[in-house]
Amino acid sequence: MASQAADARARAGWPGGIGAVREESWTAPDVRRRLQLVLAGIWLLDGVLQFQAFMFSKGFSQMLGATAAGNPAVVADPISWSAKIIADHPTATDAIFALIQVAIGLGIAWRPARKLALGASVVWALAVWWLGEGLGGVLNGAASPVNGAPGAVIIYALLAVLLWPGRQDRAAPFAAGRFTGATVARLLWLVLWGSLAYLALLPATRAPKALGALVAGMASGQPGWLAGLDDHLGAFLTGNGPAMAVVLAIVLAVVAVSAFLPRPGARAGVMLALATAAFLWLAEGLGGMLAGGGTDPNSGPLLALLALAFWPLASAALPATGQQKPATATQPASPEGT
Amino acid sequence: MGGPSWLAWTFASVVIVVAAYCLTRLLVSWRQHRPSDRRVDAIHVLMGVAMAGMLVPRLRVFWAGGWEVVFAIGAAWFGWLAIREFRGRATVGGRPGHHLQHVLACGAMLYMFLAAATVAKAGGSAMSGMAAGAAHAPTLALVLAFALFGYVIWTADRLSSLAPVAALAARVAPVPAFAGAAAGGGASPATGGEDGHGTPGDDGQAPAAHVRQVPLSPRLAACCEIAMGVTMGYALILML
Repeated sequence: MASQAADARARAGWPGGIGAVREESWTAPDVRRRLQLVLAGIWLLDGVLQFQAFMFSKGFSQMLGATAAGNPAVVADPISWSAKIIADHPTATDAIFALIQVAIGLGIAWRPARKLALGASVVWALAVWWLGEGLGGVLNGAASPVNGAPGAVIIYALLAVLLWPGRQDRAAPFAAGRFTGATVARLLWLVLWGSLAYLALLPATRAPKALGALVAGMASGQPGWLAGLDDHLGAFLTGNGPAMAVVLAIVLAVVAVSAFLPRPGARAGVMLALATAAFLWLAEGLGGMLAGGGTDPNSGPLLALLALAFWPLASAALPATGQQKPATATQPASPEGT
Repeated sequence: MGGPSWLAWTFASVVIVVAAYCLTRLLVSWRQHRPSDRRVDAIHVLMGVAMAGMLVPRLRVFWAGGWEVVFAIGAAWFGWLAIREFRGRATVGGRPGHHLQHVLACGAMLYMFLAAATVAKAGGSAMSGMAAGAAHAPTLALVLAFALFGYVIWTADRLSSLAPVAALAARVAPVPAFAGAAAGGGASPATGGEDGHGTPGDDGQAPAAHVRQVPLSPRLAACCEIAMGVTMGYALILML
C-alpha cells in the first residue's frame, strides 16, 4: 500500500509531491482503459478537425448531402434534410458538432464521465453514420474497404461497446471481451472484418482500375511523400486491381476468422489486422487530414485500435464473478482503473 | 486555410484567460509561499500570450523572431529538466513525462512561429495570422497535434485523482516556524520540494508563523494544461 502510494505520487508529478493526489483513488490504467484513452484521443482529434474553415462552408453540407445518392429514400431523405439544415446554418451547426466531439473525447478521458461519454459516442456515431456517411455507402454500392467502408464512424460505436467499463466484467482472453463476453466480441469482429472482405469483392473495389482510381485519387493535395506513395500504389493497383482486390478479400477473411483461433493464431490474426489497417490508412490518404478538409482520420486507426483490443492477453482478464485482483501494472484495483 | 475569425478570437480568449490565471498563480505562490509549479505557470503565461497573438494578429506583443527565441529556450530548459530527472536528480515536477510534455509544447510553439514566418516571407495570406495551408512541414504539424492531444487525454485521465483545494487545506498540518532550517535552501515536508514550493523569506528564515502551506489548485493547473493543449492542437490543425 505504501509503495502504491509512493508510485502514485511519483506518477502525479509535483501535485503528488505536496500531497495533492488522492492516492487511495488513483489506479494506473489497465489495457482496456488505455484503449479507451486512445479512443478519446481520436474523438478529440475529430472535434478539432471539425473546427477547420472548410467545415463552416457550404462545401461541408454539400459533401454530406452527396452521401444520399444511391440510397433508398427512407435513408436518403433524412440525409438531404439534415444537409439542408447545415447549409442554412453552417456556423452554428458545425460549432455544435465540433463541441460535441471534443466533449466526447474529454468525457471519455475524464473518469467520472467516461460512461456518459461512451454512451453519447454511440448515439452520435450512429447518427453520423446515417446522416453524415450515408450508412458508409453500404446500400448504394460505393462502399470499399479502401474508402473507409463500412463507415469509419460505426467503428467508434463498436469500440465504445466493446470497451465499455461494465460493473461486472466477464472473463475474456482479450480486453474487448470483458464487457460483452468473448463470444459476442468475436462475432462482432467476424461481422466487421467479414463485411470488409465481402465489400472487397464488389465492383466498387474489384472492377478493373477501380481500386487504383480510388487510391490514386487520394493523392491530390497531399504532402509529397504521401502523394508519391498513393500515386505509386494507385499505379500498381490500376494494373493489378481485380487480383489485388481478391487478395485483399482473402486477407480480410483470414483476419475475420482469426479471432476464433487458439492464442498463437489469434495473435497472428491481430498482427495481420494491424498491417491491413496500416495499408488501408495509407490508401485512404490518412483520411485526407494532410490535404486539408479531412473530418476524421478515417477507418485505418480505428481498425488498428480494434485489433489491439483483441490482442490476446497474458492471462484471462478477470474471473467471471467480476472480483477485482489486487492492483498490478495492468490490472485495476478499482473500477476507476478501467 | 485560416479558420473563422470568431473562432480565432474564441480560442485567443481562452488562452488569455489561462495566461492571466497562471500569472495570478505565480503572484500568489510568490507572495503567500504556497506550493505551485512556478516554471509551468510561467511557461503557460508566455504560451498564452504568444498563442493569442498568433491566432489574432492584433494581439501580437513581441517583435518578429522573439517568440522563437523564447520557446527554443523553453524547450531546452524543460528538456534539461527531463534529462536531470532521468538521471535521478529530483526536480519540481516530479517525473520526466511532466517535463517532456512541456518540451513538446514549447517545440510545437516554436514550429508554429517558424512555419508562420516561412509563409509570411513567401508572401502568404496573413488574414488570421495562421499559415494558410502552407506550413513548412504539415506532417510534422499533424504529428505534433497527435502528441499534444495525447497529453491532453492523459492529463484529463488524471484529473479526478487530484484533490480539491478544500481537501488539501484540511489535510495540511500546521507547520511550526523554525529558525535557520531554510538557510541552506531546504524546505519542510509540508512545503514540498525545491524552488517554487514555500521558499524561505528574505531573511533566510522559514516563513515565520506561516502555518498552512495549501497548494494552489492542482485541478485548475491541469485544466490549464488541457486548454492550452487543445488550443495548440487547433492551431496546428489549421496549418495542415
